[in-house]
Amino acid sequence: MATVPGQLIWEIVKKNNSFLVKEFGNGTASVKFSKEPNNLYNIHSFKHSGLANKKTVTIQPGKDQTVVLATTKTKKQNKPSTLLNKSVMKKEFHRMAKAVSNQVCDNYYRPDLKKAALARLSVVHRSLKVAKSGSKKRNRQSS
Amino acid sequence: MSAAAARPLVTVQSLESDMATDGAAANSVPLPDVMRAAIRPDIVTFVHGQISKNARQPYAVSNRAGHQTSAESWGTGRAVSRIPRVAGGGTHRAGQGAFGNMCRGGRMFAPTKIWRRWHRQVNVTQKRHAVVSAIAASAVPSLVLARGHKIEEVPELPLVVSDAAEAVEKTSAALKVLKQIGAHPDAEKAKDSQAIRAGKGKARNRRYVSRKGPLVVYGNEGAKLVKAFRNIPGVEIAHVSRLNLLKLAPGGHLGRFVIWTKYAFEKLDSIYGTFDKVSEKKNGYVLPRAKMINADLARIINSDEVQSVVKPIKKEVKKAPLKKNPLKNLNVMLKLNPYAKAAKRMALLAEAQRVKAKQDKLDKKRKPITKIITYFCCLSMHLRFWVYLYFIGSLLLVSQSRASLMQPGWKLPCPVYLSHSVICLLQEEASAINSASKSWYKTMISDSDYTEFENFTKWLGASQ
Repeated sequence: MATVPGQLIWEIVKKNNSFLVKEFGNGTASVKFSKEPNNLYNIHSFKHSGLANKKTVTIQPGKDQTVVLATTKTKKQNKPSTLLNKSVMKKEFHRMAKAVSNQVCDNYYRPDLKKAALARLSVVHRSLKVAKSGSKKRNRQSS
Repeated sequence: MSAAAARPLVTVQSLESDMATDGAAANSVPLPDVMRAAIRPDIVTFVHGQISKNARQPYAVSNRAGHQTSAESWGTGRAVSRIPRVAGGGTHRAGQGAFGNMCRGGRMFAPTKIWRRWHRQVNVTQKRHAVVSAIAASAVPSLVLARGHKIEEVPELPLVVSDAAEAVEKTSAALKVLKQIGAHPDAEKAKDSQAIRAGKGKARNRRYVSRKGPLVVYGNEGAKLVKAFRNIPGVEIAHVSRLNLLKLAPGGHLGRFVIWTKYAFEKLDSIYGTFDKVSEKKNGYVLPRAKMINADLARIINSDEVQSVVKPIKKEVKKAPLKKNPLKNLNVMLKLNPYAKAAKRMALLAEAQRVKAKQDKLDKKRKPITKIITYFCCLSMHLRFWVYLYFIGSLLLVSQSRASLMQPGWKLPCPVYLSHSVICLLQEEASAINSASKSWYKTMISDSDYTEFENFTKWLGASQ
């Protein structure tokens, strides 16, 4: 599959797509979020987009207090079912953080996402801790 | 540009019903060039907008509505507005306004006509371009995901299924097929989304809405597949040679999830042609070319050819310094005009000199009586009185004996309290004042140019 380049996809997708969420105001006053699963900050922008980039990183909560770290494989762009390298982590936070930063930047996968990945990891991890009490927030990123 | 060997292969998903005879090679089909065509969302939006008007049925208001009266205006002079009023009598309707859009029961403004231009014509090449773009977009997982289809479990895009699917007869079997190829979540999504429409449409025979599921494209006429798949909510079917843009890009949005059968997939090449080869079915049609063959900007920018000619990055950003006012800031002034320092110095010195000279001149003219004044202040009232008396007396004495100037040694009767030195001082002061006043008197006369003053005094006979 001659890959359609990320920039092209972004130009098509940036105006409207099913994951786009506009909040707080109308027109230029609104903030644009994105619900797609491969987006670390959930921000609608080219750098963070899970649709327009060949290499993406995603960190989601898994079952029972585990965190799932997944990266997309560059060679399998058009095979959605086998696209992700998933790894389920159930270690203590520091180990997980080391693992994440290894995968994301130390092997030059997407070093510009390092901060985002670690931030997301800590938030997801914290949300898992509180999972017992209070109402469960629906994970809008599903996947 | 596209030899069959250079084109990537798409594996055909096999179903249970397939005979497990095929080897790996027979199970893959080269990607047709249509899927490589330029993706043009602008053309698709335009063409989709135009084409979707073509299925409309005309609506209009009745021709005669509002005019089925013989109403006439009553004219002026009757204390009513001049609107045409219904003639006759004996009923409510009589005398009511008629014919106007503002009247009750009158005709509307600009009654809708059936000869409104309902349909739109679109150039054939444009229509074909749009379809081709939509097909190409359906092969890009990002775009299909962006449109909202659930394709996380789909093994490959574009999704090609073996021809056994065309023979499926029962809907239950069709559902099983969908499950095997990972298309079930999308169909499920469509089924779950069935809801009553919001708005008046629900009362106008458009009661239900739901999402769109996969589009199944088959190649053989009369395949049983049509009847099997058509009842599954969300799933639509199409024959390869009759692909509809309204189905390929619903709502004008690219990226419908399409399931091809192998036969249909292979037919695509002959229907749309390749970039070099003319299409067989569409007379003289060649696939549209993109403006950029290689649209991957990131790769182009980072390529050797570009990087070797590009100037290095400017790491240091030069910031403009804050402008300081030379009239207030000495150093900045000196940077502009080095002579300013010398000039200023000269000016200061000259000023100091001027001040000093003036002060000296004044001092000379005014001799301060500091000793006497301070002494005077220390004395008691009683003594002050005597000193004062004595002072005035000495003044008078001195003035009286002007002709013969001060003779030291003359005495005035004075009380014992005043010491000798004080007396001398007082006498000195008095004489100094006297001489100063005399010289002032002289300058007054000379200044006034009154030369005959001497004569004047003689006339008066005053002997001073």
